Amino acid sequence: MKFVDTVKRAGRNLREAKIRTLLTSLAIGVGAFTITLSLAAGSGGRSFVEELVSANTNPRAVYVQPKQDSSIPGAPGAGGVQEYSDAPSVSYGGGFQLTLMKESDIAAISNIENVERVDPIYNLNAKYVTAEGQKKYQAGLNTYDESITLEYAAGTGDDLANNEIIVSEDYLKPLGFTDASSAIGKSIAVAVDNPLGVEKLFNFTVAAVSKKSDLAVSGSSDLTINGTASKTVYEYSEQGTPLEKAYMGATVITSSEDAVSTVQSTLKDQGYMADTAEDLMSTIFTFVNVLQGILLGFGALAILTSIFGIINTQYISVLERTSQIGLMKALGMRNRDIGRLFRYEAAWIGFLGGAIGAGFAVVLGMVANPYITDALDLGKTRLLEFHVWQAASVIIGLMVVAVLAGIFPSRKASKLDPIEALRTE
Amino acid sequence: MIEVKNVTKAYGKKQHEFIALDDVSLAIDKGRSVAVIGKSGSGKSTLMHIMSGLDHPKSGSVLIDGQNIFELKQKQIDTFRAEKIGFIFQSFFLEGNETVADNVSLPLEIAHVPRSQRKERIQKALESVELSDKAKNKARNLSGGQRQRLVIARAIVNNPSIIFADEPTGNLDSQTGAKIEDLLFGLNKERGVTLVIVTHDDELAAKCDVQIRIKDGTIQSIDYAKELGDTSNKAKEGEPA
Ligand SMILES: Nc1ncnc2c1ncn2[C@@H]1O[C@H](COP(=O)(O)OP(=O)(O)OP(=O)(O)O)[C@@H](O)[C@H]1O
Ligand SMILES: [Mg+2]
Repeated sequence: MKFVDTVKRAGRNLREAKIRTLLTSLAIGVGAFTITLSLAAGSGGRSFVEELVSANTNPRAVYVQPKQDSSIPGAPGAGGVQEYSDAPSVSYGGGFQLTLMKESDIAAISNIENVERVDPIYNLNAKYVTAEGQKKYQAGLNTYDESITLEYAAGTGDDLANNEIIVSEDYLKPLGFTDASSAIGKSIAVAVDNPLGVEKLFNFTVAAVSKKSDLAVSGSSDLTINGTASKTVYEYSEQGTPLEKAYMGATVITSSEDAVSTVQSTLKDQGYMADTAEDLMSTIFTFVNVLQGILLGFGALAILTSIFGIINTQYISVLERTSQIGLMKALGMRNRDIGRLFRYEAAWIGFLGGAIGAGFAVVLGMVANPYITDALDLGKTRLLEFHVWQAASVIIGLMVVAVLAGIFPSRKASKLDPIEALRTE
Repeated sequence: MIEVKNVTKAYGKKQHEFIALDDVSLAIDKGRSVAVIGKSGSGKSTLMHIMSGLDHPKSGSVLIDGQNIFELKQKQIDTFRAEKIGFIFQSFFLEGNETVADNVSLPLEIAHVPRSQRKERIQKALESVELSDKAKNKARNLSGGQRQRLVIARAIVNNPSIIFADEPTGNLDSQTGAKIEDLLFGLNKERGVTLVIVTHDDELAAKCDVQIRIKDGTIQSIDYAKELGDTSNKAKEGEPA
């Protein structure tokens, strides 16, 4: 019997036992549904992470921190008493210290080949922000980072001068501006305390008003100033402390993306902790993948159960059609073709189950996507990302599984003795 | 030419053994029409199944055109049955849920007849049993006589060179029965199809070239009716069932 004829007959046979076929398919459908959804959530999650990371990091950047003493005092296996080191550090008490980066580290790193520049990370603390005739407000202060995508309501934050500042639109009203464009060019003051509690006002001109971004993690901070201004503010606030001219870390900008990995390994050789944007991404990817793996496991379990359903259904189908099998054998149908007929039936069941499950998953996903996005505040991102090839491979995979499950019953069919089979009515 | 040589068929094992055919030998020339007559349970169907290679004898051989069919590979037997033999089984074995046309199509599909030729052949076969108007009906909805005719259409659609028919007119009224007989004998006369008809019906048997009578698994007589000559094997008490 030819392929098309066999497939058609197999399909017709199934239609005779509609309910049985449907129920068996539904069991597979549950697995297909779960798997399709978990694949969609996986791709959605990964592309969300990718967007998130690329909106907040620079692919040419390596994030450097000094190596920390890995031993925590009191922890089992810890070295106990630690030798005093002259290096600047922050003490958190109990002997727990955070080693900091010195100016000499920054200079050394700048000399590494392919390093374009090194931006120390300034831990800025503004006491308050105010404008003439307005009240004082608390505000977060950050250093401008070109790799963080900002959206502006007015002006632009590119080429920020040393005395310029980016203000979040939340601060327009409190600082006495009617709208974003009217704030541009106006002066505001940021107060900073030195370690002795002496307050100093730094005056800035508003260069841009930033909008809230769905993706930016730190980019939508209240106030943003450039690196030089940050250095000035930081040095004032830390003068005379061990933190003066010492930093939690630094961002190393390499000359090209290709240079990132060599610079990273050089930094590691020199005893720094160095992470690239990609490292960050893969760390978060691991979480997404683990979650997806758990979901996939449930799907696989559902499919495992449905395998027994297929075997059972097909076995009954063989018994029911014993005389039909006998007739086909008597008419000269090859044993191989009889077996194939039943395996194609199983494939049909797999296809049906896969299509039902994947179809439901896609429809549900389409409907649920906007709600999920809303609930999780993801902006334009869709958490469930469906790909045709994924749904197709789920269906094809299930057809293969179904055919494998159908091997046992189909072998029984092909081994029937035609005479015995013809005697059964 | 079909030659059956010393065929013995036993069912069951050892003390429960039942000899359904006992040292049966006969020969059927190409293009003959042969009636196999005997009481119920005498072994007619068993003989037909063995002659067509569906069942295997305990001993003995069946030669078709000089070739012992039990020495062929399974694939060759399958091809031989698909291309050369038409079967009309005592129980019809129709696919009740499939259409009349799909039932007739089955032997063609098994014999790998290209799709383009099938439709016409199915149409012709159904016409010859006067079932054309039922082509699209489900086989389950046919009357007993219509089913019998459908089975015949399925047996002849392949243009077989041998037709084995187990009670082909058993369920038909005399008028329709006569039509089917005409059809089968027509194929026999015009296309030289060898006919092997198992029947209780003496009238139908009388229309055949040869009458083989069996009783309790042994050949009682082989009558070469009409002008065929050799009647040496005639027996005395071959009575119809
Ligand atoms: N599988 C089997 N096991 C045991 N005995 C069997 C088996 N098949 C057939 N027989 C016996 O063999 C004998 C011949 O059976 P067969 O079907 O050939 O009879 P038949 O001549 O075609 O009868 P009918 O006219 O009623 O169809 C019967 O006695 C039957 O009971
Ligand atoms: Mg019989």
